[in-house]
Amino acid sequence: MTIALQLDGVKAGYGRAEVLHGVSLKVEEGQLVTLIGANGAGKTTMMRAISGMLRPSAGVVKLGQRDIQSESAPNIVKLGLAHCPEGRRVFAPLSVEDNLLLGAYRKLPSLFGYRRKATTSLDRIYTLFPRLKERRNQSAGTLSGGEQQMLAIGRALMSEPTVLLLDEPSMGLAPVMVDVVVDAIRTLRREGVTMLLVEQFAQTALSVADYVYVVERGHVHVEGSPDEIRRNSAVVEAYLGA
Amino acid sequence: MAALNLKQLTRHSAGNLAELIALVVLACLPLFLGHSAYAMGLLTLLAIYAIALIGLDATVGYLGQVNLAHAGMIGIGAYAGGLMVTHGFGLVPALLVAGLIGLLLGTLLAFPALRLEGPQFALATLSFGSLAVLCLNELESITQGAQGLSVNRPAFHGGLAMTATTFFWLTLGLLGLVWFASRQLLEGRWGYAIAALRNSPIATDALGIGALKHKVLAFAFGSALAGFAGGLYAFNLGFLQPQAFGYDLSVTLLLGNVLGGRKSVWGALVGAVLVVLLPNLLSNKPVFLAIAGVGALLALVQLIQAMRQREVRFQSLAPVGAMLLLLGIALVTSNLEEWRKGLFALMLFAVVVGLPEGLMGSFSHQLVKLLQLASTPLPSPSVLDQVLPAQGDQGSAVVDVRDVRLHFGGVKAVDGVSLALAKGEALALIGPNGSGKSSLINVISGLYKPTSGQIWLGKHLISGKGLLAANRLGISRTFQNLQIFADLTAIENVAIAMKGAYRMPWPLVAAGLAGAEDRQAMSDALALLTLVGLQDKAGVIAADLTYSDQRFMEIARALAAKPHVLILDEPAAGMSKPDVEKLKRVISTIKSRGISIILIEHHLDVVAELADRVIVLDGGKPIAEGTAAEVRANERVVEAYLGSSAQHLAEISSS
Repeated sequence: MTIALQLDGVKAGYGRAEVLHGVSLKVEEGQLVTLIGANGAGKTTMMRAISGMLRPSAGVVKLGQRDIQSESAPNIVKLGLAHCPEGRRVFAPLSVEDNLLLGAYRKLPSLFGYRRKATTSLDRIYTLFPRLKERRNQSAGTLSGGEQQMLAIGRALMSEPTVLLLDEPSMGLAPVMVDVVVDAIRTLRREGVTMLLVEQFAQTALSVADYVYVVERGHVHVEGSPDEIRRNSAVVEAYLGA
Repeated sequence: MAALNLKQLTRHSAGNLAELIALVVLACLPLFLGHSAYAMGLLTLLAIYAIALIGLDATVGYLGQVNLAHAGMIGIGAYAGGLMVTHGFGLVPALLVAGLIGLLLGTLLAFPALRLEGPQFALATLSFGSLAVLCLNELESITQGAQGLSVNRPAFHGGLAMTATTFFWLTLGLLGLVWFASRQLLEGRWGYAIAALRNSPIATDALGIGALKHKVLAFAFGSALAGFAGGLYAFNLGFLQPQAFGYDLSVTLLLGNVLGGRKSVWGALVGAVLVVLLPNLLSNKPVFLAIAGVGALLALVQLIQAMRQREVRFQSLAPVGAMLLLLGIALVTSNLEEWRKGLFALMLFAVVVGLPEGLMGSFSHQLVKLLQLASTPLPSPSVLDQVLPAQGDQGSAVVDVRDVRLHFGGVKAVDGVSLALAKGEALALIGPNGSGKSSLINVISGLYKPTSGQIWLGKHLISGKGLLAANRLGISRTFQNLQIFADLTAIENVAIAMKGAYRMPWPLVAAGLAGAEDRQAMSDALALLTLVGLQDKAGVIAADLTYSDQRFMEIARALAAKPHVLILDEPAAGMSKPDVEKLKRVISTIKSRGISIILIEHHLDVVAELADRVIVLDGGKPIAEGTAAEVRANERVVEAYLGSSAQHLAEISSS
C-alpha cells in the first residue's frame, strides 16, 4: 500500500502555546482514518497543521512523496489535499453553486470555460447530495445546518483532492442528518477517497474507520484498528461510554 | 494580549507609582526650563492633548471606530470657554460649560452616528467636524469668524494672577484627575462592557449589558473630554481661529492615538508627547538624530529577536528599513523641515507595522515580562446560594407562548407554535435541522419579533420588545454558534453580565469609589464559574479556552443574569463524551435551583436524561409532544428526525 499522508514528529501551536508535542501518523491510500479524543486534545490543530493553515514548528508532513509542511495553504489544495473545516464555514451570501465552484478555484484557474470545466465535478457532488442540486441557486446562509454541512463537504471535494480532511462533520446535526453525512462518507470511501476524519460521536467514527488514532493532550495516545480500540477498556470508558 | 498586560501593569502598585512619578516629573519641568512662555505653552499644550487623546481613546481605542469629530468638539469647547470668559465669567464655569457642551453634542451625535460602522461612522464624524468649523466661521457676530477671537486668561478666584507656569500646573492637575477618572471607568466596567459589545453585540444585549448604551456612554464621555480640553486650549493660546480645529487636528490626534498605543492612558500621554514635541524637534538636528538612532536600534533588536524564533516576516523587516532610511535622510539633508512630511510618514510606517499595539502597548508587553508581574489575584468565590438563590417550585407557568409565527418572506420558520413552560420544568425542543427550533427560541429570547402571536413571561408581554427587555424580565440564553466575549477573561465574561452588580452612578465610579462593587461582582462570577467547573480557568482569556470550556463559560455567563428561564441552544454540540457527562451534571444542578430550562439538543441521551417533556418540531410546527420515551416511539418522529439512531437509543434504554 502506498502512503497518502504521513506526519512525523509534528509540533504546532498558537503563539508560544504548543498544542501538538510531536505527533506521528500515517494514512494509506484509500483508507479512512479517524481521530478521536477530548476537546482541546489537538485534533483540530493537527488538521490545521496538515492543511497549511498553521505552520508546524517542527516535524514533517508528507502528501504522497512530497513534503508539504512549508507550503502555503492554497498550494496544498493544488497539490491535492482539501480541508473541510469544523463549523462548516460556508460563504453565506453566495449561492450553493457558487460556493461549490469556489471549491474548484485552484484546480480550474482559467477565466474562460470555468463553469463548463467544473460541470463534471458539480455532477459528482449533486449525485452525492441531491439536496444541494435542489437548492443550487439559494444563498448558502439560508440552508439548514445539515445542508450547510453537505455543502462544506461538497465544496472541499470540488478540488478533486487525493486526501480529504473532515473536521467534525456531524457537529450540531439532527440524528437523521448525521445518517446522511455518514452515508456520504461511506460512499466516498467506496469511491476510494482517502480521508482523515475527526469525529466526536466515537461509535460512528469506529463504525466507518479503517484505522483509529486516539489523541490526548497533543500526543497520539493509542492507535489501532476499530476492533482493537473497542477492546481497549481505558479508551472505551473515556470516549465510547457504556 | 497587550491590553491585558497593560491592565496588569496599571493595576499593579508599581504601575501606580510610575504614573505618579511621570506627573511629578512633568510638574517639575518648569523649574529647569526657566518658566519661558514658549516652553510653558508647549508643555501646557502637551497636557491638553493628553486629555483630548484620553477622550479620543474611548471611541478609537475602545470602540474601535475612527472618530474624526474630535477636533470639532475641541473647537466648540474652546469657543464656548473663550466666549464665557470674554462675557465676564470665571475660569471654573467656563471650563465646566466647555465640557458640558462636549457631553451634550457627543450624546446627540452618538445616537445617529453609532448606528453606523467603519467607514460610514468615519464619514459621519468627518462631516460633523467640517460642520463645526463652518459654524464657527459663519457665526461671525458671536465668534468673529475667520478673524479670530482673542481670549484673556482669566485670573483665579480672588484675583490671584495666572502666569503661564501656574496655568501649566493647573492643566497638569486636571490631566491627573482625568487620568484617574478614565482609569476607573475605561479600565473597569465600561471597558469590559465595550470589549463585550465589540466581540458580540447580540450577546451583550441578550445578557442585559446593553450594547447601544455603552457605545453612547463611551462616545459622550470622549466628547466631553474633547470639549474640556478645548476650554483649556482657549486659555493656553489666548487666540482662537476656526481653521485650527479642522481635519488636520483630527488626523494629528488619530496619529497620537495610534503611535502612543490604544486602550491606555499611558498611550495617550506618550501620543501627546509625540505629536506635540516631534514637529518642534526637527529644528534640533542632534536630538532628532538621536531619536532616529534609538528607533533604528529598537527595530534591529526586534529583528534579531524574530530571527532567533525563526519567524522573520515583513513586520520585523520593514521597520528596520524605514528607520535606517530615516536615519540616512536625517544625516544627509541640511534642512530637516523640508522633509518633514516624509520623515513623519516613515516613522508612522515603522510604528504601525512594527508595533501594532503602539509604543506603550509594546513597551508594557516587555515590562510585564521583565518585572514578571503576576496577573491580578482572584477574589474568593461568593456562596452560590447568595448569587443564585434557589427559586420556589410552584409549578405555575413562567413562559406562555401563544400561537407564535415567524415568517421570513415566504419561508415559514415558525408556523403556529403554542407552549407553556412551568416553573422548574426542563423542556427539550428537538427536530431536524431547519425545523424552526432556533427560530423559536430566538423569538422567545427577544432576538426576533414574531410575525404574529404573543409570548408572556409571567404577567409581562415580552414578544417584540427585544433581547434587552426579555433579559431584564428574566430570560437568559446561550448560543448555538458561541457568542463569547473573546477578549475578556472567563471571570470578566461572567462578571460583566452579573445582574444588579453595577449600580453605582458613573461619576462616583470615576471618583474611584467602586472597588467594593467590582470585587463583589468578581466573587459572584467566580461562584458561577465554580458551578460549571471552570474555577481554575477563571483568569484565562476566553478565546484561549477550549471549545467545551467556552460553552461552559457561556452557561455561567447566562446564569449571571439570574434568570427565571434559561435557554440552552445545543450546549453539547461538539463536546466529547466526558464533557457531555459533565454538562448533564451542570444542567441538573441548575434545574435543581428551580430555574426553568428550554433545551435544544441533538444528543438524545442528554435529552432523555434531563428533559421533563419533549416537543418535536418539523417544518415550524410541533409534530409530537411527551416524555422522551413517548416521543421516541412516535413513528413520525422516527421518520423525520431520529432515523437509524432510534434503534440505537432503544438499545441504550433497554440495557
